[in-house]
Amino acid sequence: MSASNADSPEGLPPARPGRVRVTAPRSTARRVPGRTSVTQEVAEQSAVGEVFVRSLIRSQLRLALIASAGFVLALAGCWVLVRWVPAVADWRILGVPAAWLLLGVGMYPVIGLCAWLYVRAAARNEARYRDLVEEP
Amino acid sequence: MSPAVAFLALLLVSAATVLIGVYGLRISRTTSDFYVASRTVPPWWNASAIGGEYLSAASFLGVAGLIVISGLDGLWFPVGYTAGYLMLLFFVAAPLRRSGAYTIPDFAQARLASRRARYVTSLLVVFVGWFYIVPQLHGAALTIRTTTGLPSWVGAAAVVVIVGTTVVTGGMRSMTFVQAFQYWLKLTALAVPAVILLWHLGMTPGAVPAGTVLFGADDGGSRLGAYQTVSLMVALLFGTLGLPHVLVRFYTNPDGATARRTTLIVLGLLSVFYLFPTIYGVLGRAFLPGLARTGSTDATVLLLPGRLLGGPVGEVLSALVVAGAFAAFLSTTSGLVVSLAGVISQDLLGGGVRGFRIAAAGAAIVPFAVAMLTDSLALAGSVGLVFAFTASTVCPLLLLGIWWRGLTDVGAIAGMVTGGLLCAGALLWGSRLDPGTPGVALLTQPAAWTVPAAFTVMVLVSLATPGRRNAHLGRFMAKLHVPERSLGVPRG
Repeated sequence: MSASNADSPEGLPPARPGRVRVTAPRSTARRVPGRTSVTQEVAEQSAVGEVFVRSLIRSQLRLALIASAGFVLALAGCWVLVRWVPAVADWRILGVPAAWLLLGVGMYPVIGLCAWLYVRAAARNEARYRDLVEEP
Repeated sequence: MSPAVAFLALLLVSAATVLIGVYGLRISRTTSDFYVASRTVPPWWNASAIGGEYLSAASFLGVAGLIVISGLDGLWFPVGYTAGYLMLLFFVAAPLRRSGAYTIPDFAQARLASRRARYVTSLLVVFVGWFYIVPQLHGAALTIRTTTGLPSWVGAAAVVVIVGTTVVTGGMRSMTFVQAFQYWLKLTALAVPAVILLWHLGMTPGAVPAGTVLFGADDGGSRLGAYQTVSLMVALLFGTLGLPHVLVRFYTNPDGATARRTTLIVLGLLSVFYLFPTIYGVLGRAFLPGLARTGSTDATVLLLPGRLLGGPVGEVLSALVVAGAFAAFLSTTSGLVVSLAGVISQDLLGGGVRGFRIAAAGAAIVPFAVAMLTDSLALAGSVGLVFAFTASTVCPLLLLGIWWRGLTDVGAIAGMVTGGLLCAGALLWGSRLDPGTPGVALLTQPAAWTVPAAFTVMVLVSLATPGRRNAHLGRFMAKLHVPERSLGVPRG
């Protein structure tokens, strides 16, 4: 991070090295001339950057939809078991009805598993995107 | 329980809340500190704070009460409350953090480039917040009435005064510490008495009177109708991601990936917590059957330790439970007051610390008046209605705004207004009908049709007004979805 001394004329040092205001510098800093990185293209909304971003969004959306569909299926399965299968209603484990264990305890590990798998996959999507846009 | 013990518990919780708030005040100095704790809170703290803020009266008292009334079907509520965070993780957590907005209206304005969309969102957020605070105050009133015998308004007034003091003086930096502390207090306050009660029932001969039945012969299955179950789950799954106090918490994560990790920890914390209200519910069905007849089943958690264990141990455990219950009212109410104050002060009072303080006072006093004028419903049920409302209004705005480029300001406003009117209208109409009326569930549990209606209107109107798309949308979408380190645009 460099302190912005954009106020001082080009090439001249500030009159005295007093306090400087540190602002978000990356938007105002002069670009290093030379080749254009993909990161920069993303920032500048070039056509190439746009393609990369769109594909990232698509893969993240697909992941979120698959993950939520998986969870909703598990939830629906659980509901069918406790609502429509009499054998589950009558089944007891150590005196506790199986339906209570399923809904009261069993759903939470399912939620945790879905969440953990999703976080890993989402991070992988982002890592793949980074590999694409950040040159070695 | 003797009133003195209850008072002592209340004093301790209030003192701890104010002290941690004041301790946090020393490092809360700038406007940015006041709103979002400068985004420097580590994931574990942040997750505890989110859990502390989210676990409200409905979770602490309401879930057990609902299990006493409706048995197995009461268990859908904690599953839905937790799974709501799963949907939030999948669709909202990281992009919303990256959007760099402080509040939902900030997001609406940045995404749709429209002041009008911002105002409509602000109105909805304030409405949702107020109606979410009301059940907290009802819970406080119930707790004070049950444990000390004082009039109901004292409990609600105590919550409003304590929350007002901490928020006005400390802002959110101290709130984060207060909320994190209150999650662990709530967990301890439910878990320790539950374990001791179970141990007592299991180990002491004669503790369980002959003929006590934990689960009746017909308790194994679900009796809730198919429509109600689906509608309830739609409301709980998609309502969470529209709650104003939940969203504001995600801005305190340093980046999108941390926001996801924080949510993962939150899911773990919620899962552990919700095991305990279930235990209280099951014990309450067996040992406090009279409550279901009087209709005050939400007091189950408060009364159970004293009923099962007399003497000093029972008193101490009761005090612990009362302390946890108050922590629940205080943390949820203060989280809501902070986020409402953020919205009100930015949109009506021009921002700044002074405006925030005035707005915070307003955000606490209005629900107090509403709570005093209305009667308490079952806590878990009335909170569930707020979830149905946010699922029909804010949820489509966030989901379509984050994932669909076609959303326009006109479409968003039309969808939110349609969803809000349909949902509020159905709930009002349904509450006036006899519960036995055929088809009344369509009105009392409307999420299953109002949420799709809001989405449909939002999409169709947006498609009809393609000219009103945000001109700088590409840049904003990149900001939402591109991981921070590789983004060449300045972050807000």
